[in-house]
Amino acid sequence: MVSMSLDSYEDVVGQVVIAQLRKLAHQLAGARVVHVNSTREGGGVAEILSWLVPLMNDLGLDTSWEVIDGHAEYFHTTKSFHNGLQGSPAALTDHMIKVYEDTVSANAERLRPKLSKADFVIIHDPQPAFLIKCCPERKGRWVWRCHIDVSRPNHRIWRYLKELVSLYDASVYSMPHFARRLDHPQLIIAPSIDPLSDKNCELPQGYIDATLDRFGIDRRLPLLTQISRFDRFKDPLGVIRAFDILSGSLDAQLVLAGGGADDDPEGQAVLNEVQETARGREDIFILDLPPDAHRTINALQRASTVVIQKSLQEGFGLTVTEAMWKSKPVIGGNVGGIRLQVHNHHTGFLVDTPEGAALRLRELLRQPGKAGRMGRTAREFVTVNFLLTRHLREYLTLMLGLRHGLESHLLAG
Amino acid sequence: MVWKTEKVNMPFEVKDCTLITRMGGVQAAVSLRELREGVARCPLECLFHHFCETQLRPTFDDPEFSNDFAVWSAKHVRDRVLAEQLGVLNPYEFDNFEQLRAAVLEVIDDRLSEVGYHQFAPAGEDFRFMRAVTVVFDVGIQLCTPDDLVTRLPEFSTSSIYYHFVEARRRTETRLDDFSNWLVGFGAGTEPLLEALHGIDFYYLTLRELKDTLLEAICQPLMETAHG
Repeated sequence: MVSMSLDSYEDVVGQVVIAQLRKLAHQLAGARVVHVNSTREGGGVAEILSWLVPLMNDLGLDTSWEVIDGHAEYFHTTKSFHNGLQGSPAALTDHMIKVYEDTVSANAERLRPKLSKADFVIIHDPQPAFLIKCCPERKGRWVWRCHIDVSRPNHRIWRYLKELVSLYDASVYSMPHFARRLDHPQLIIAPSIDPLSDKNCELPQGYIDATLDRFGIDRRLPLLTQISRFDRFKDPLGVIRAFDILSGSLDAQLVLAGGGADDDPEGQAVLNEVQETARGREDIFILDLPPDAHRTINALQRASTVVIQKSLQEGFGLTVTEAMWKSKPVIGGNVGGIRLQVHNHHTGFLVDTPEGAALRLRELLRQPGKAGRMGRTAREFVTVNFLLTRHLREYLTLMLGLRHGLESHLLAG
Repeated sequence: MVWKTEKVNMPFEVKDCTLITRMGGVQAAVSLRELREGVARCPLECLFHHFCETQLRPTFDDPEFSNDFAVWSAKHVRDRVLAEQLGVLNPYEFDNFEQLRAAVLEVIDDRLSEVGYHQFAPAGEDFRFMRAVTVVFDVGIQLCTPDDLVTRLPEFSTSSIYYHFVEARRRTETRLDDFSNWLVGFGAGTEPLLEALHGIDFYYLTLRELKDTLLEAICQPLMETAHG
């Protein structure tokens, strides 16, 4: 977790923004807030919580972060939820439901005292969602924070989860188009990045060069990079296909770098497939990185000529935000939150196929001036819209809103 | 610099606001006809959000139109005629939001009668009716004289400018901004300043542009007063 205070961000976002957050948080001083998710490392949610929790504490809220302790069968079930909610075929048997409910119930024994007393409980994604049924004596407001696109779910899985999430006081989505209609208030908070974290801070050129050398990447050649979990929704094979189309006409290198998350049992299988496809290729680098390789990822993004995120399904796509913060044009899949960030022909390109990705890669590699302009626009866009200060402000607004029944206009204090 | 005012006045308490958007509880619209149905049924808060709170929301660039209905018509339905007709509606020129709703419906009905019912947005580009929860809070700054407004305005966040200069028109009986309502209390000496504020056409400006315009507008009368 980061230990720095909110004041550290003043140089990035300005004093007015910091002062505004402190004034707003003053209305919530001492409020007990508990976040619950299913992994402390790996994936966007854990990354968000690693700065959100300490900064909420710095603002005077009594905030903690709890993680569901599960075993392989539980994570297989929740992965099935995850895939099914994003529209993929996914099984849900009575046995799987029992495994899920038993695991969360066992965790509830440990967490119940804290959750029952909290003023605000934020449950991230479906993995811990059953906790609400285990805590009938609730003092505070419970929010289901959904980080994935549930607009077209597998109906059997949604039918089961809908019953759970309907019990919450409100649910929060990253984009309006990710939401399913429910009877409780549904709010929107886009994710964000921490500009001072290891993954996003400025790095000395020497460190970037050393990182490339460590992996045997040629510093003289253009570098195309996709950073993401080895997950079918991220379409790593489609990226290799795009690179293959391109590589006949341009000399470049491709890096596919990522790792698994504790709650993703499919990652290894996808990684094996990708490694097999790239076997024997000297211009493709498949890097299976540990979950704490943040500075390595930062260096790879900064060394890149173009960053790719050719997802087929995507929640928000924080790797896109990270690349844009580093002034890189992004070629992104025309899905989910990528569409909120990549503005076609302005901050990068949206593509639907490997052919489309190859076309745009060629365009950006042939026209470095255009790539530079897009990168600068991208950084400006992230500075205003997708840094953690905006995210934090919306969480504070949500909690103040919940205290007052989410009326349209509230006078705090 | 001391303003030649006739009176003393109550201090001006500077406030700020933040918002979080929420789903409006109305079926998303895929076609122009569905947009019409949604506009007819949605809570007034949705109209307020799509017409007025757009200034507070993050956007990529200077939008071509100031309300979401016009943006959607242009970008996704690709009907620029409709977009321009909706885009010219200024919500602050209506007495209330029911009147605005009637005006929007009239524009859409006219267009439907011209082009029929065949205008659709592509899949995934449907119009989502949204509203917002706005929290207003005290900044801890008090302005005691018109001079204070001039010196402290640079410290205002853009959302504070929105609250006092834009949103105030919906909230106050005079339908003026909060600064004007307060400055009036100082008497005739502040007339040049009031005139400058009233001359600002705020609806088509981004909040950053509005803040710059305000700063410029209040500095000019200040200079004149200093030299007069």
